[in-house]
Amino acid sequence: MSASNLHGLVAYYADVDSLLAAVRRVREAGYQRFDAHSPFPVHGIDPVMGIRPTVLPWLVLGAGLTGCAGALLMQWWTNGHDYAFLISGKPLFGLPAAIPVTFELIILLSAFMTFFGMLALNTLPLLSNPLLRTAGFGRVTADRFAISIEAADACFESHATRELLAGTGALSVEACESDESSAVVPKWIKQLTMIGAAIALIPPALIAMERYGTRTTPRIHVITDMDFQSKAKAQSASLLFEDGRAMRRPVEGTLAVGEWIEDEYRATGKVAGQLGTGFPYEIDRAVMERGRQRFDIYCGVCHGLDGLGRGPIAVRAESLEESAWVPPTNLHDERLLTVPEGHLFEVITNGVRNMPAYAAQLSVDDRWAVVAYLRALQRSRNASIEDVPTDQQRNFK
Amino acid sequence: MVITAATEPKRAHVAAPVVDVLSDDPTQRPPLMTGENDFTSITDDVCGIAEREATPRAWYIAFAASVTGMTVMFAMLGYLIFNGVGVWGNNQPVAWGWPIVNFVFWVGIGHAGTLISAILFLFRQGWRTSINRFAEAMTIFAVCCAGIFPAVHIGRVWMAYYLFPIPNQMEMWPNFRSPLLWDVFAVSAYALTSLMFWYMGMIPDLATLRDRAKGKVRQIAYGIASMGWTGSARQWHRYEKAYLLLAGLATPLVLSVHSVVSFDFAVSQVPGWHTTIFPPYFVAGAIFSGFAMVVTLMIPARQFFGLKHLVTMKHLEIMCKIILATGMMVGYAYAIEFFIAWYGGNPYERFAFINRAMGPYAWAYWTMATCNVLVPQLFWFKKLRTNLWVMMGVCILVNVGMWFERFVITVISLSRDFLPSSWDYFKPTAVDVLTFAGSFGLFFTLFLLFCRYLPMVAMAEVKTVLPQAHAGHGLHAEEPAR
Amino acid sequence: MSAHHHVSAPERTRVTPSGLAGRGRLATLFGAALCVLAVVLGFVQEEGMARLQHGWLLAVTFFVTLGLGGLFFVLVQYLVRAGWSVVVRRLAEHLAGSLPLMGLLLLPVVIPTLFGNGQLYHWADPHELAESHLLQEKAPYLNGWFLLVRVAIYVGVWTLLVRAFNRRSLAQDDTGDPSMTIWMQKRAAPSVLAFALTLTFFAFDMLMSLSYEWFSTIFGVYVFAGSAVALFATLVLLALRFEGRGELRGIVTTEHYHDLGKLLFAFVFFWGYIAFSQFMLIWYGDIPEETVWFQQRWVGSWKYVSLLLLFGHFLLPFVGLLSRHVKRNRSLLASWAVLLLLMHLVDLYWLIMPTLSPEGASIGLIDFACLSGVGGLFLGGLWRRIDGKPLVPLRDPRLGESLAFQNL
Repeated sequence: MSASNLHGLVAYYADVDSLLAAVRRVREAGYQRFDAHSPFPVHGIDPVMGIRPTVLPWLVLGAGLTGCAGALLMQWWTNGHDYAFLISGKPLFGLPAAIPVTFELIILLSAFMTFFGMLALNTLPLLSNPLLRTAGFGRVTADRFAISIEAADACFESHATRELLAGTGALSVEACESDESSAVVPKWIKQLTMIGAAIALIPPALIAMERYGTRTTPRIHVITDMDFQSKAKAQSASLLFEDGRAMRRPVEGTLAVGEWIEDEYRATGKVAGQLGTGFPYEIDRAVMERGRQRFDIYCGVCHGLDGLGRGPIAVRAESLEESAWVPPTNLHDERLLTVPEGHLFEVITNGVRNMPAYAAQLSVDDRWAVVAYLRALQRSRNASIEDVPTDQQRNFK
Repeated sequence: MVITAATEPKRAHVAAPVVDVLSDDPTQRPPLMTGENDFTSITDDVCGIAEREATPRAWYIAFAASVTGMTVMFAMLGYLIFNGVGVWGNNQPVAWGWPIVNFVFWVGIGHAGTLISAILFLFRQGWRTSINRFAEAMTIFAVCCAGIFPAVHIGRVWMAYYLFPIPNQMEMWPNFRSPLLWDVFAVSAYALTSLMFWYMGMIPDLATLRDRAKGKVRQIAYGIASMGWTGSARQWHRYEKAYLLLAGLATPLVLSVHSVVSFDFAVSQVPGWHTTIFPPYFVAGAIFSGFAMVVTLMIPARQFFGLKHLVTMKHLEIMCKIILATGMMVGYAYAIEFFIAWYGGNPYERFAFINRAMGPYAWAYWTMATCNVLVPQLFWFKKLRTNLWVMMGVCILVNVGMWFERFVITVISLSRDFLPSSWDYFKPTAVDVLTFAGSFGLFFTLFLLFCRYLPMVAMAEVKTVLPQAHAGHGLHAEEPAR
Repeated sequence: MSAHHHVSAPERTRVTPSGLAGRGRLATLFGAALCVLAVVLGFVQEEGMARLQHGWLLAVTFFVTLGLGGLFFVLVQYLVRAGWSVVVRRLAEHLAGSLPLMGLLLLPVVIPTLFGNGQLYHWADPHELAESHLLQEKAPYLNGWFLLVRVAIYVGVWTLLVRAFNRRSLAQDDTGDPSMTIWMQKRAAPSVLAFALTLTFFAFDMLMSLSYEWFSTIFGVYVFAGSAVALFATLVLLALRFEGRGELRGIVTTEHYHDLGKLLFAFVFFWGYIAFSQFMLIWYGDIPEETVWFQQRWVGSWKYVSLLLLFGHFLLPFVGLLSRHVKRNRSLLASWAVLLLLMHLVDLYWLIMPTLSPEGASIGLIDFACLSGVGGLFLGGLWRRIDGKPLVPLRDPRLGESLAFQNL
């Protein structure tokens, strides 16, 4: 075996005292690349070997500060800025509520740095180490003490170093050979790894096929997430009830909260069951404006803004020649000029022929406002000069 | 053939001087271990357990029972995930039923390990070295059991990733002002830190097992696990610093974890939950139950694995004293809570406490008070706290009591809160009971595996408290170990 | 450990301070004079009586908590059979020795409640009682006579404990009888229990009931945490004082300061933890009857006192004491100890004074007179107790361990 294969020399000792004495001798002899090995930490060996305090605490401090800043930033940004939502009246970012998570992250990051920093500084994991293949070294983790000197040390000289170690009261001195062959990963491990990797690709491939392929049947639904529930959906049929509807109708005469109106005429447009005339409340300019606005939104699309029954929907329906289309009524029709206001209100509320009910879209008072505006619209087509204020009458002459 | 102390005693224990480890004599420190121990004997005694070729039959029986329990638990969890949380007894008004009780119970047990490893280390308590590995392992396994309950309690477990701030296409973030989210961070940080602490402590001992391993499988497994540790002084230097730092970090962490768990309750306005003493009171209770669990497991383990000279009666006695002390702290909190409930003058708060002691759940309250406050009083007497049977009985009862404490807090306050029309009496379902019982199966399965394959006692640390470990020992060979 | 036998016990004459009795008498006279001055100022100044009672309570509780800290330290050393602390235990014993006198000095704030004087304790005011339904509910507990009985019990328990432990510790100096130590080890656990209960209810009665509508279950632990911080700060300063004088030179070493520093640091953290728990739960719960107490401490200049506590009592000393170097450096450790002792005073001021001046923090001449008056009496008693007795438990069975103590 050539000398280049020699990794170093290991000397074994029986107890702490002889180890400490030997370390002192080796260091005095000028060696740099040597180490003492023991089954437990030997107190007081650091100054003897000249080990300087580790940098680890500073790394951990850095990690802790990072954790602190990161946690505060994360909580401020996520809850206070990016996705701000108010909950139980707490400030979006309140320091007292941010402290627990901040504290935990300080500790967690520091602990990670402690553990992984210790490993990294110790160059662990290091599974292939010539020392571990040295015959006598196995007892160092149980009940022996040892000093190892690397052949790479400037002072190392195979024979002299062996002499020095033997002279320190060592039980024995052993050569530590570096074995190049074992650094090569065995073939069977490589093969196994490749086969394992190939097998590991199968599940993702299957998932990808399932998700992105074309299928004629419904896809596999792994996580149903309440997508399929045994419940009746709105507007669907149900065999459970006599009328065949899944939805139940409210009890006859049900009113929503706040919709109860004392005045019968105002609420229904009828007085004692008969359609009434006039308005249930005073009509002023604001009501008229409201009526115009509602009319333009809800009525104008069919009846036209002018009420002549030529709204955009009517025009379009005619152009399509829809056979089932019933043209909207011309609101200036003779008949409508004379019907009681209660009738107009009732039609808006419940609909007539093809016209749907607007009770859901227009509140009771809005419906009266629309009726009022409609009356004004009709009047505009049948007005006489007396209807114009006297000071403006001359404009029409 | 591996020779172990159990099969062939190498040393004459008879020759050792008879020392009373329980001595109260202040003029001398009784030794931490009995018998003639040296580096070799400790290595043999501890490694021998993991190296036994034939696994004892008793181990198989215990393992089969534990695995059965664990299987029952996973079956119940599968049933739960398939059917939804409705299979539990949780319902209005008690929306937090057994799962939260079990979570707090297990997390509490998981506190003793880190306390022994970290806080007692900072307090220079040399006796901890015999039991810390054992207690740390117990911590990890208890935290595993604890983590299951809140995870399945969220209902749709496959959505659990929403607990963490992971960027998602809905641009939503978790609510960091919620104590439940603090819990996620606290328990995760605790589980990870305890795991690192436990594993780091084990690296030198795994190296010992590696160097003694005979079979190829063991060599490779222990070799990878010990990461190439050579026990060099430079490694030890950083290792010890890291150990001290982890101990310093774990100490406030232990305090914070159960404090955060207590915040789950205490930040609310529910009578019986909203009280300022909750954080330290929960921490004391956690240590209380954790130590009780360590003693419960340690008594049979030291008997069975022949570790009576390393884990002596002294160790058990000290743990019993700690149980008594923390039990008194818990009793103090009960008393102060009751007093302030009256003194505060809030009728709802007063009602909550009268309801605890005299309402429909009075049986649970008095079980708790008896087991947690009265039973540990036996430990005032030295005869009783050094009797293994009494110890075992008290410690089991303490854990029963601590489960009931969480039950009392969680269920009673919810079952009767501000709205009397929704008051109800909580009843668990069979799924509740089997899941909880099965969680012990998981705990013991992990524990038995640990006992069988890993170093149960921190050999390297125990060696440091032997007198031979100190320089100049040859000059004072007559002194006993402290 | 291995080095016990190399350290021989110190000589009695060297560790026994002398010439302190005269100084003690002077301090007592000075203190008594200032107390009289405070009372005179109280009668003369406008609204002086209210301030006098508040200032008196502040001064007495400050020194009572120091004594309680000392008692706690002594009891716990026996409870856990500590070895390292023997050389500083006598100082704590002397601090605890002030409890009987300081307890008596509570009477001037207790007795007025018997006569319906509600200037300090508003609950004692008969008009308040007639108008407040809440107070009527609490009256079975919050009434003058019951308060007197309770305070008598607290001070009685403390006196008994101090007597029992201090006498045996001193007697052991002569006899070296280890049975004394065994006796105290046995009694330490029940004594700690009695200590915990009396301290808690002392805190409830003397401090929490200042705002009788407010309550907090953690309050006793909060006051305990503050007392422990004050105790370790005082121990550091006293040890340095007698190291400087020579009695403890070479006996209390850097190693002991390091350990005292660690405990000081630990209790700074503990105080922060308890204070945060109390604040956070009340802040988050947001129930008016609880938040009002913190609201009062956020009004006007009280806000700055609150912030001073946060930084001075927790954040700064926490960072400052983190390093091993600081704990092993006498002058650095001493400066943090002085700061923390001051902060303990600020803490008590923050607990007591907002009932006197709710609009903002205020300090009067009377406060200084009370503090230095009671402080003089306290110091006078302390010097006279220390004088002529060994400052080190000479024949404590664990003295060797303590003398040879080394931090690893």
